[in-house]
Amino acid sequence: MVEENLKIDQKQGGFQLMLNKKITEPWTSIGTILGQPVIDSYTFYLKKYKAKKGDIVAAEAKLPTGEGKVIDVIVWGRITEIISSNDFLPNEATKELTEENINIQDTILPLTKNDSICMVTNLGYTKNQVGEKMLLLPINYPVAPGGTIKYPAKKDLASLLNSEMNSKNPILIGKLVAREDIDVFVSADNMVSRHVLVIGMTGSGKSVATRRLMRELMHKDYPILIIDPHGDYLGIVKQAKKLFPKHVIKLFYPKISAPSNNKEVIFALIEKLGKKLTDPQYDFLNWLLDNIPYESGQNLMDYINVLIDRANTAAANKRNKSSAGMNGIGNTGATTMGVVARSLRVVQSKLKKMEKDNKENMEKFPHLKFEELPDSYSQPENIISKSQVSILYLKGYESLPSSTIVSILLENLFNHRSAGNKTIPPFFTIVEEAQNFIPSRAEGQDGYPSVETIKKISTEGRKFGVGLMIVTQRPYKLDETVCSQMNSYIILRLKNERDQRFVKNTMENWDDEVARQLPNFANGQGIVSGQITNLPLTVKIKFDADLVNSDLGDEDFINDVQNWKDTEITKKKKSFYKNFDKIFKSDQRRPN
Amino acid sequence: MKQIINNNSSLFSNFIKNSIKAPSPKVQQNFMKVTSELVEVIKKILETEKLIFDVSYEGKKYWENAKKHKFAFVDGGAYSSFLSSSAPFAIRANTYIVKPDELLERRELFRETVKFVGNLYDPEKNLYDLDEDPYEDNQLLTKKKDAARITFETAAVARHVYENEKFEYLLLHGPLQTPIMPFSGPEFPLFKKEVIKYILPFFKKKEINDQDRHFINVYLNSINYIKKAKFNIFGIVEKTGSTIYLRNLLYRAKQKRLIDDVIFDKTISLIKRYKINDATLFELILSDCQALKPLEVEKQIPSKAWGDWEEQMNNFPKVFIGYLRTNKNQSPIRIESLNNPKKLHKDYEYILATSKLLPNYGFPAGLDVIDKAARIHSWLGKAAKGYYQKYYLNLALNSKDPTTIISALKSISDGGRKFKNRPKAGRLSINAK
Repeated sequence: MVEENLKIDQKQGGFQLMLNKKITEPWTSIGTILGQPVIDSYTFYLKKYKAKKGDIVAAEAKLPTGEGKVIDVIVWGRITEIISSNDFLPNEATKELTEENINIQDTILPLTKNDSICMVTNLGYTKNQVGEKMLLLPINYPVAPGGTIKYPAKKDLASLLNSEMNSKNPILIGKLVAREDIDVFVSADNMVSRHVLVIGMTGSGKSVATRRLMRELMHKDYPILIIDPHGDYLGIVKQAKKLFPKHVIKLFYPKISAPSNNKEVIFALIEKLGKKLTDPQYDFLNWLLDNIPYESGQNLMDYINVLIDRANTAAANKRNKSSAGMNGIGNTGATTMGVVARSLRVVQSKLKKMEKDNKENMEKFPHLKFEELPDSYSQPENIISKSQVSILYLKGYESLPSSTIVSILLENLFNHRSAGNKTIPPFFTIVEEAQNFIPSRAEGQDGYPSVETIKKISTEGRKFGVGLMIVTQRPYKLDETVCSQMNSYIILRLKNERDQRFVKNTMENWDDEVARQLPNFANGQGIVSGQITNLPLTVKIKFDADLVNSDLGDEDFINDVQNWKDTEITKKKKSFYKNFDKIFKSDQRRPN
Repeated sequence: MKQIINNNSSLFSNFIKNSIKAPSPKVQQNFMKVTSELVEVIKKILETEKLIFDVSYEGKKYWENAKKHKFAFVDGGAYSSFLSSSAPFAIRANTYIVKPDELLERRELFRETVKFVGNLYDPEKNLYDLDEDPYEDNQLLTKKKDAARITFETAAVARHVYENEKFEYLLLHGPLQTPIMPFSGPEFPLFKKEVIKYILPFFKKKEINDQDRHFINVYLNSINYIKKAKFNIFGIVEKTGSTIYLRNLLYRAKQKRLIDDVIFDKTISLIKRYKINDATLFELILSDCQALKPLEVEKQIPSKAWGDWEEQMNNFPKVFIGYLRTNKNQSPIRIESLNNPKKLHKDYEYILATSKLLPNYGFPAGLDVIDKAARIHSWLGKAAKGYYQKYYLNLALNSKDPTTIISALKSISDGGRKFKNRPKAGRLSINAK
């Protein structure tokens, strides 16, 4: 009971905001702002179960414009934490419940007084006026305590997230993790021109992300080049052909070659694949390369053969004390020349092995048609063409030769674009296992020609329509310059602390709250941020099941072992081993 | 026993606390000797009278069987600020009602059973000639606040009886009956008529006279109404300084000629001198999950009343008081009822089980819950207080009576020395040459 004269007029002190007439449907009130909000964040009391972590919520607010005016706005924020408490449930009681194994619901303890307090990080504000676009602007004034928090309707939130996207070729990447009824789009324009970095540990869903974006680009007939060191994309070829019958999907294996007139690359290749050379041996090799120039497009194996022959000839001449063709190497001994020749043979044999491995791997997919990679200098249109996806299959090749191959390829294609002669259209390159092609300075970049090439594309590619998607599970091993040129990010699950620190140091607008989520993302969940999106969003990437690579198997190794049967040869081998083992055990003779 | 007393017992803590200076070893030893012997004797009496009994506790099993019942817990809350006519300014008594096996949405109810904001006491019947001595005013103010609290808590219990609730148990935080002697003085104001009508819905008298509006009569009506309840009602008191059980126990022993008058008087005197009380003594006798059977006691002492209240005080029902040790760390809690418990073991089992849910504090958990819910937080009262102060001062100013204005000013300044020592408007006397 309250005496009549003490009843307080409830309208005093309150204020009502006019809601934007463009807002499509009523927004549910879900809470009230608690005291002491600051500009970047606030807390609010949440009605039970009306929102969850990661949800984007809205507060009606007033902001000063600086011209003496105050405008009605909507302040958007993301729920970063929810703290639940029940002030009426004594903490002591939990001790007794546990020790006596009492079900709390059987007792007189209250269960319905759970309170939830949400912490919200502000994302920005939109003007709350008719006719205004939902453009998110930075906030400069805190929301008011006691204000109402609302749960925006799906359409209005989608408008906010995807506004301005219509003019930027939006492509669907997935759904908001917190609101699975809301599709998230990214800007294809910004993606292909301003580069994207995709990071995630094994099994986090990098392939899901790349397949998703690849599919969307294919819908736009955009040319795609994929550098595939492990053959991850082979399996999709079959499905892609079925799903995109008008597209051309080409599988290429490399021709081992080197950039023309680039002695350093050849040196590095030989040094890294062969033995480290002494100074006289280095001088002799240098003499060989000077006297036998490498021509662009020439098969590197053939070239090395020529070098070996020449080295052997020089060694023979030296032994025969002949001076024919020995200009400049008069003081080089035959032994030195022989060592160089041997080293070249080692390189040759390794390269042959890589070619062989590559070929054997290709033979596992008899239903797929592999072609030799065309010369990117003279035939770029066979690699990059509208509605074409070109996959460069590098399995079996070590990092250095792969780097060389990729460097030559991308360098030539970039040069064609930058020449402006319209030989090939703009294209998008997906570089898988990017740490093998653009290692950081700490990892050692010597002899990795792809580093400079990709650096150049990352800094200048935008002007010429050459876009990059760098995909890696070890971001801290990547070249720093290239990373700094990535304008958009898709960050999936990361548990390694160094990788997490890398992300923190690289991404703009980094949020510590977001960082805490990184190790806990489910497969296919990640943060999308940068210029491909309006604001950083936690997204569940859409899974394109029809593009899954069935040929590579499901990593169902336990099942494989259970169904394992030794081949006949293996069975015989095991049997012979037993037989010989018996003999050796019976051998009583002492070794000399 | 000496070891037990010395070992952090409440008895020993009280002894230290109440010493004027740090007691010497000799004094301490004497205390130990006397109290340990007293404890032994009291224990013997209790055992002879078969007043000590064990209360069983099997937490899980108990609650699995008890969950089908409906339980209630009552506690009051008063706003800390007050005015002369309204002490306290706002008051309420809430009830936490729970039926554990009910569906979640119907399982619990937090009810504001009785509440009041405004002038509790009738200003026309109130003496506003306030004393300049803040001590006297504070004494009266304290009594008004206490009377309000007692009235409202009892009214809440009575309301449930009136509404024919079907509780298995209702526990009240506090005694079921309080000695009313302090409120028997002539200066004690009357409640307003509206208050009586509100808190005593069962009071069917057409014309409410002044007598009906006095706290003592209001309280008496409520207590006698509660006594008729069909469900079990207990008042639970923790940290009590009372000696009522001890005194009644000794009296009973005297009646049964177990002790003579001299021993009785000397022991009562000893208890007073050594500041021994029920809880501290029984802490040394009872173990965890042990209790003392209730004794029927007289709470009101008509001969001590100031005014003509003898008849009313005689009409207060007797109270049954027992003690229960709910854990090994706390002294026993006092349990009061207006009727002799018919199922003593079952009743005490319930109180024990709810107390075990607060294993450290050893007090019924439901009362802890309702204590938090009934509290009136300052933010709740501040705005209303400001409004009320303006309204009250306005009334006083409109009366144009200087005495009324001064008393209003005094009230809203919270009185006391601040008001007494205020600078007074008027001539400034200067010794000028």
